[in-house]
Amino acid sequence: MPFDQNSAVERARQDLASRLGVSESDIEVSAVTSKEFPDMSLGAPADDEMSAQMIADGWEIKLGAKGKSYEYRADKYQLRLKGYNGKNHVIAY
Amino acid sequence: MNRNNIWIHLGLALIVVTVAAVLGQIDRWRSSLRPMMSETRDLARPVAKPTAIKRSPSDSEPEVLVRFKSGVTASQIEKLTAKFNDRVEDRLELVNGLVAIDDLDNADPAEVAAHYARMTDLVEYAHENFIIEADIPDFTPVNDGHDMPRPNSPNDPHFADQWGLSNDGRNGGKKGADIAALSAWSKTKGSEDVVVAVLDTGVDYTHPDLVANMWVRPDSVPQYSDAQLGVINDLYGFNAGDNMADPMDDNGHGTHCAGIIGAEGDNGIGIAGINWNVKIMPLKFLGRGGFGSTKDAIEAINYAIDRKQNGVNVRVISASWGSTMRSKALEDAIRAAGENGILFVAAAGNSSTDNDRRPHFPSNHDLPNVISVAALDNGDLLASFSNYGSKSVHVAAPGKAIVSTWLKGSYREASGTSMATPHVAGLAALIIANEPDITMAELRKRILDSVDPLDILNGRIFSAGRINADRALSN
Repeated sequence: MPFDQNSAVERARQDLASRLGVSESDIEVSAVTSKEFPDMSLGAPADDEMSAQMIADGWEIKLGAKGKSYEYRADKYQLRLKGYNGKNHVIAY
Repeated sequence: MNRNNIWIHLGLALIVVTVAAVLGQIDRWRSSLRPMMSETRDLARPVAKPTAIKRSPSDSEPEVLVRFKSGVTASQIEKLTAKFNDRVEDRLELVNGLVAIDDLDNADPAEVAAHYARMTDLVEYAHENFIIEADIPDFTPVNDGHDMPRPNSPNDPHFADQWGLSNDGRNGGKKGADIAALSAWSKTKGSEDVVVAVLDTGVDYTHPDLVANMWVRPDSVPQYSDAQLGVINDLYGFNAGDNMADPMDDNGHGTHCAGIIGAEGDNGIGIAGINWNVKIMPLKFLGRGGFGSTKDAIEAINYAIDRKQNGVNVRVISASWGSTMRSKALEDAIRAAGENGILFVAAAGNSSTDNDRRPHFPSNHDLPNVISVAALDNGDLLASFSNYGSKSVHVAAPGKAIVSTWLKGSYREASGTSMATPHVAGLAALIIANEPDITMAELRKRILDSVDPLDILNGRIFSAGRINADRALSN
């Protein structure tokens, strides 16, 4: 599923709303920043995952809900949730 | 500004960065023809400040992109921008000297850009943060072949950009900070009898600069047979991710690595590989996104071992990938490759961390056939992103701003220990071409013992040096 910045943010909002059981309108977009990530898992490898060690351009998406903040990472190929309940998650690719 | 506009602006900023990189590359061609700039410049040159205009309070992205000339230091840039009440918002590492500047006075961006552009002794170019409605290009285009050829160099038009093979000091590089490919090629340019497996996202085996050097299963070698998969007609290699024969690259990363190892040399197109002649066997296990599972990596290694046992001269596996998760099964597969005489060259990782303290795998597997590779920039410095480790990272090789093959017959510049790794794998193949009977252990020792020592790598890299192909072939 190819992403651009807008579609990655929207998909991240949908994912977080679903996880938290809230409406998408309750999800606040705190910041979206263009980033260079250290590898093609965007510095957020899932369990048992290996990734190409090439610097990858993408977006860091900071969302907020219920007083907590959440970090998603995306590039044109994929969307990841970093450190949710202590783990990284591949949301879409 | 509403929220949608913020996304549009951020997206467009990314486009602008890419366009700036293109402009920067064009400028590199131009700058190579200019005389060297003096290192000492007058930062106090009086230039009138543009008039302030009213802007939206939320319009906080940098207004101007400025590329300073080679030799202008970061501290000089900071002083200069501070003097005009501007702020360096971001350094865009992939283009030397390029910074995004935020004007704190909220002046007209066009005037601010013109203000910087007038400082011709310091600034290569400056322009405002354009709004461009276009698709983001996948990469930075490289030299289109207008550079002057170097003596004894191949006729590949992008060779002038391949600083890792021959560095003449242009673009802020250090002359001689390369693997000494030109002198090595006087001894050998590789051999089609040597097979290097590129364990990666696949390889575009139709790329015009690679097609002549791709491995094709000879009729004398039986089709691959696997207990679960049955018989597979592995004509061009293996795709472990999809359990099929076709290892076509759908990402580009593997094709980039393959070009470093063995793009056809002196063929009048694109680049030259470290080996002008070699056979590249694509083993795909990383998917379109550039990531994949440990299990699939093991499947692909098993394939390479099987082919070796069926008479294919697989001598090297190039592995430009990894993670911090240790897999005993993967370690065992790599050990098995070593027991079959296959060298395993692995990327040290891009987290700027010490692998002795925070291991990265598979590069950290302490096996006699593993070489872990760090990345250097064109100034012989350890790349800012590169991992290191005085015990666990064995050699350093060019890995920043490396030009190589990409999908659909194209070329691009990329950075990472991913790019350093195939330099070492390519060197291994070159040594084997020169000494076909060299053992895997001798090969590994040769690569580590023939480095160019670099003081900056003392205590950070096991061999404390950058690989040197000429010396490796002279032993």
